[in-house]
Amino acid sequence: MKLAELQDYFARAARSGSGPLPELERVFLGSHQLPAIDRMAIYNRGYFYRLLDSLASVFERTKWALGDAEFERVGLAYLAKYPSEHPAIERVGRSFSAYLHSIDAPAVIVDLAALEWARLCTLVAPNPVQVATVSSIEPRRFPDSQLRFVPSLHWLEVDPAALRIFAGEVPAPSSELRSSCGVAVWRKQHAVHHESLDETEFRALVSAAGGATVSRVCAIFDRGSEAEDVARAFQILSAWFGRSWLESVVSTGP
Amino acid sequence: MHRTADPQQALSRRGSNPSRAGAAVGFGLRVPHYDQILSHGLRADFAEAVSENFMGRGGRAFSVLERVRADMPIALHGVSLSVGGMTPLSGPYLDELRSLATRIDAFSVSDHLCFGTFGGHYAHDLWPLPYTEEAVEHVVERVQRVQDRLGRRLLLENVSSYLEYRASTLREWEFLSEVVTRADAGLLLDLNNVFVSAANHGFSAREYLAGLPTARVEQFHLAGHSDAGGYLFDDHGAPVSPAVWRLYEQAHELFGPRPTIIEWDERLPALATLEAEADQARALSKAVLAARHEARA
Repeated sequence: MKLAELQDYFARAARSGSGPLPELERVFLGSHQLPAIDRMAIYNRGYFYRLLDSLASVFERTKWALGDAEFERVGLAYLAKYPSEHPAIERVGRSFSAYLHSIDAPAVIVDLAALEWARLCTLVAPNPVQVATVSSIEPRRFPDSQLRFVPSLHWLEVDPAALRIFAGEVPAPSSELRSSCGVAVWRKQHAVHHESLDETEFRALVSAAGGATVSRVCAIFDRGSEAEDVARAFQILSAWFGRSWLESVVSTGP
Repeated sequence: MHRTADPQQALSRRGSNPSRAGAAVGFGLRVPHYDQILSHGLRADFAEAVSENFMGRGGRAFSVLERVRADMPIALHGVSLSVGGMTPLSGPYLDELRSLATRIDAFSVSDHLCFGTFGGHYAHDLWPLPYTEEAVEHVVERVQRVQDRLGRRLLLENVSSYLEYRASTLREWEFLSEVVTRADAGLLLDLNNVFVSAANHGFSAREYLAGLPTARVEQFHLAGHSDAGGYLFDDHGAPVSPAVWRLYEQAHELFGPRPTIIEWDERLPALATLEAEADQARALSKAVLAARHEARA
């Protein structure tokens, strides 16, 4: 066998979910004390359980909600279907939430996994080049400016029950009624935080992140009372600055 | 302002007689120690960072790296290069590694002589290669490309293994020597891995060391292993065993003092335990050198 064939054979044997491959003893050396099949089993266990440990460290609350045995069953099935695509091991969970959805796991578990994934992405995101401050705003150009967010800020929509489970509440029996709320996940100093946003603020965040100008973002707060709308928009945008969510304010005008 | 990137040089500059200074000793940066490192720093001659845990990252990981680098040199040690693999080398990975090495003025950049990719995916394991001439040629060509891209020499570490290919035509140390010599690479000699593989495959660890090209050996690794009943398992989950300390002593006699890292991953103890292991390595290194000096005198 050539090098490529040997590596391919090794990889298939180390990742086999259905026992040893045929002719294993003809490819690898064994000993009376430790036959080649047992030797390959060390790599086979190592492959799955190293990745499963990593998955468990990222999806700690999902594991808690599912229970150890169910997490192991689902996790191993996921790893067999979705091998790692990233040099950093914890990134192996990138598609875990989508996988849970595909196997009809309860929506709240799917969302809990999505939340934990967003928290990991926030944790490891690069530092921003800079953090924008209110004093950096040019008042005249502000309405036509776009807001650039720091790389560690993430947002997603989840079932509010997922937030409660994350906080330690015991999962309730699944309900047919599906609800969702917008959540922002961000990093302050070295800690990861998440918080649900009211519907208007979440829409404004998604709109701003999509490139809308500040004036268009502020229009989202329009509820027909100019004074209250302006106050609300000001309060929200100030909070974004205060939480260091903004990397820069980019003028789009001439 | 970063201090000098070479820990052995730094040790000599601190006033120690270079011929008796012993090895510079440090240990790997691990997440459970980050808070303590950020608040108190490390007591070590240098530190080792797993490259993939810091590439492209900010937040706490970045702060830890900056904090440690302000006090001591850092060696970058990768686990996902898959230098022996058939999957094409990743350009973005190498660029990010180069960028990190430049940013922290890394003392060295190393990875393992193994493969860990299949069909474009990562195994996150250190799978052994067949020791054949075809594999030598394949790895040498890839190491040279890595070195060209990084703009520096790569150090290759011998892995511990549990399985050997019937196709192998070279002994492990012959394979390792051929690769580092032909590729003009350095050798990161993991003495625990030598000991574990020697026990698992029935070869002599001493013969292994004696078969290596002395000038290529640039660093040592020490770690603990466990007896899994029928084989030794390289789990980095225990103190360095007495047999591996003896091998470290022999390595000193053969290669002289080299910057040494204590690795510990499973059942990670408090930093103080790692510092004690490092002290033991330092003391042993100095004792070997002193004995050698006295013998010459």
